Amino acid sequence: MNFDENMLRSVIEEVLKEMGTASTAPAAKAAAPSASTLSAGEMTLADTGEAAKGVAPDEVVIGLAPAFGVYQHETIIHQPHSKVLREIIAGIEEEGMKWRIIRVFRTSDVSFVAHDAAEYSGSGIGIGIQSKGTTVIHQKDLPPLSNLELFSQAPLIEMETFRQIGKNAAKYAKGEAPTPVTVRNDQMARPTYQAIAALLHIKETEHCDRNKKPQAVTVSFK
Amino acid sequence: MKSKRFEALAARPVNQDGYVQEWPEVGLIAMNSPFDPKPSIKIEGGKIVEMDGKTRADFDMLDTFIADHAIRLGNAEKAMAMDSLDIARKIVDINVSRDEILDITLSVTPAKLTEIVGKLTIVEIMMGMTKMRARLMPANQCHVTNVKDNPIQIAADAAEAAVRGFAEMETTVGIARYAPFNAMALFVGAQAGRPGIMTQCALEEATELQLGMRGFTTYAETISVYGTEPVFMDGDDTPYSKAFLASCYASRGLKMRFTSGTGSEVQMGYAEGKSMLYLEARCLAVTKGAGVQGTQNGSVSCVGVPAGVPGGIRAIAAENLIAMLLDLESTTSNDQTFTHSDLRRVARSVPQLFSGTDYICSGYSATPNYDNMFAGSNWDADDYDDWNIIQRDMKIDGGLQPVKEDDVIKARNKAARALQGMFRELGLPPITDEEVEAATYARGSQDMPDRNVNEDLKAIEAMMARKVTGVDFVKALDKAGFPDVAQNIYNMLRQKVAGDYLHTASIFDKDFHVYSGVNAPNDYHGPMTGYQLSEERWEQIKNIPNAIRPEDI
Amino acid sequence: MDQEALMRQIVEQVMSAMNNGGSAPSTPAGGKMTAANYPLAEKEAAKIKTPTGKPFSSLSYEKVISGELTSDDMRIAPETLEYQAQVAESVNREAFAGNLRRAAELIAVPDERLLEIYNALRPYRSTKQELLDIANELDGKYGAKTAAGLVREAAEVYEKRDRLKKF
Repeated sequence: MNFDENMLRSVIEEVLKEMGTASTAPAAKAAAPSASTLSAGEMTLADTGEAAKGVAPDEVVIGLAPAFGVYQHETIIHQPHSKVLREIIAGIEEEGMKWRIIRVFRTSDVSFVAHDAAEYSGSGIGIGIQSKGTTVIHQKDLPPLSNLELFSQAPLIEMETFRQIGKNAAKYAKGEAPTPVTVRNDQMARPTYQAIAALLHIKETEHCDRNKKPQAVTVSFK
Repeated sequence: MKSKRFEALAARPVNQDGYVQEWPEVGLIAMNSPFDPKPSIKIEGGKIVEMDGKTRADFDMLDTFIADHAIRLGNAEKAMAMDSLDIARKIVDINVSRDEILDITLSVTPAKLTEIVGKLTIVEIMMGMTKMRARLMPANQCHVTNVKDNPIQIAADAAEAAVRGFAEMETTVGIARYAPFNAMALFVGAQAGRPGIMTQCALEEATELQLGMRGFTTYAETISVYGTEPVFMDGDDTPYSKAFLASCYASRGLKMRFTSGTGSEVQMGYAEGKSMLYLEARCLAVTKGAGVQGTQNGSVSCVGVPAGVPGGIRAIAAENLIAMLLDLESTTSNDQTFTHSDLRRVARSVPQLFSGTDYICSGYSATPNYDNMFAGSNWDADDYDDWNIIQRDMKIDGGLQPVKEDDVIKARNKAARALQGMFRELGLPPITDEEVEAATYARGSQDMPDRNVNEDLKAIEAMMARKVTGVDFVKALDKAGFPDVAQNIYNMLRQKVAGDYLHTASIFDKDFHVYSGVNAPNDYHGPMTGYQLSEERWEQIKNIPNAIRPEDI
Repeated sequence: MDQEALMRQIVEQVMSAMNNGGSAPSTPAGGKMTAANYPLAEKEAAKIKTPTGKPFSSLSYEKVISGELTSDDMRIAPETLEYQAQVAESVNREAFAGNLRRAAELIAVPDERLLEIYNALRPYRSTKQELLDIANELDGKYGAKTAAGLVREAAEVYEKRDRLKKF
């Protein structure tokens, strides 16, 4: 349990630090993200301007929440974002489908991120992912807060699941009806992780800009 | 050297929970924050022009809605001028009636409500609950879900929960597209167990309304409201859309309540530096202003947040009391796992269980927690006997009663068979005898055979496309040889025509007689008043099967 | 006449009765319904009808089985919601009564359209003009005056708070 305490403490310290700098130098905060070719350990994500709505019926769009891979680099259970993204992409490719990445700024809510991804996707299928790891597979004609598949308990999502999510999204895009990825349930995830999840989400939400349209993102893995 | 005692303490379940220090600047504080606004009101020309330190020009969407809809203007200036401590004292004074309190509390602002309950200790909050809840007798609600979305198990678990005493039942889904099966299984199972139980299925807002319109459910609860404008937007609604939605439900004869709770704003990233309780008071004012009869509140799924900060569990009880002070049906959470410690989870439920609320749990898990798709409840099926014996120890009515194994097995079997018959008549994927048998004796989904999920999902899509409704359930059950279950479903549908159960804090008994804040109002005003256990009910509660009878020795 | 048209006609009649300054139709002899008349299903069954005009007391299980009653019959009527609003007022729940009256107006709006309007009211879904058009539709087509008022109010507030459709 030392582990969680330390993580909490470091998160709080970081947020406090950011809040401190944000209040003294608000311009600095705004400048940093927009240029954004930011190296995230084993992965480089670059914004390349406003994303286009796709027409290719064989693509799945992956929507990233504002801080993913840029301000935060791992999920709530310390899985590196680079690996997570690689697994999702691999899952899509295994099904012979194409992928495209956008970053959503108007919200940090995972359902909306996924729904925006679905709307930009030529197949109408999108995946939304938050920095803490919460993931949704969405379809554009569903209500935003509904979904095809929802993985709401971020502490229970493992690498293998991310690949499965990519595979299933690709199958939906092909018009197939895949068996949904098995949902995991652990009632002790909340007592252990909820307060931490709240802090991580506050940090994600700080990078929202509700007037900014989704941006196209290129990725290169090292 | 390490202390052996500290080593043992470190290993205790309570030390596996996450805790955080208060951090008022971002709203990580339960109540009594130095940054909460000071109560104020100014009325000009029949309109509120200033509220809680903000002028109308600075109102956000919630302020505007609350100022225009949630506060009784006639008495507002007088009530706001009263000392909050005096009001707090009236709440615990048995010589001041519930109605007198409401005259004050329905005329004040969210900051004032927060200030009033901030003066109360946890025991005083409980005294307030005893007096202020809307319905005379308490009741209880359960969750009926499973990790496989297995409908036969849902029907059987609902029937058992019905025999055990729950007045309301809620299901939800692992896979959203399974919702229609879960809702119909719950409906049939509940009515097979005990006539008159209300059922709901928690889903995305528009989808949930659609199932209600189709007669798959009889009420709704997961209509979430939030205490800051940005979080409200992330919840994909506004106070105006939610008020409209409330009327949509009533227009179809469906009971509904809103949901909110402390911690949701911090959890979702925008608490605007206010205490969790103040933001919850805003949620409840929005609920009142929308004209909704009640609320599910008490942090609900965000319980880990207030539970992690000092005084958080007190704040949860305080928010329940605010709901009651607004004359709302109080459905008081106790429905989500927040701790590894059995001691903490009992203590967390003491205020609502001992005082009695309209629905003590808004989701006691009727399955073992591994099947609870609300991510675990504070109480689950493995705790049934603990709950019953706590009722017996304290001589309180927590809405449940001890049962006989034979009765439970019979009810589970009947519900599973009724659903089997209904599926057959509706042309849905067959339920095998093996599944019925498994559901009859199951503890949870680990004891259930797997279904062909894809076949089920396809059948659901087709069933929804051909516009199957609750009336079709009645016909199918009749044809399948379950006319009594069919009758009960029919009677629930018939109640939607009369609308009596739309009223505050309604429940039905087994003869479909409604009890609500209208015909069974809480009239507590001191010892030996208000709800008293009848001899008959006390017999039911105290006669646990494992108590040794003196005459047997 | 089909069910929907019939429902609409009934609603129009109710609305015009309400708008003509008269109290709700066929109020009980003593004036308004109160807690003493509650539950209406037991005490005032004779006064309740379905939106299709069938008396509440004529509903039966057998008629559902025979197909004489359909799901269109198993709905609440505007008059009934008005009675329930009066009951609510008699126990000082005027906000709740207001919701029931707004609901009474919405009975005539078909399920699909009602869902569309609700979705249009969600944040960033509609332009101001789209919301005002909806208000006019509620008002003009269904006589839903208070519901229309709520939508107009929303249009103003959404504009002020920058919650109208963006892109």
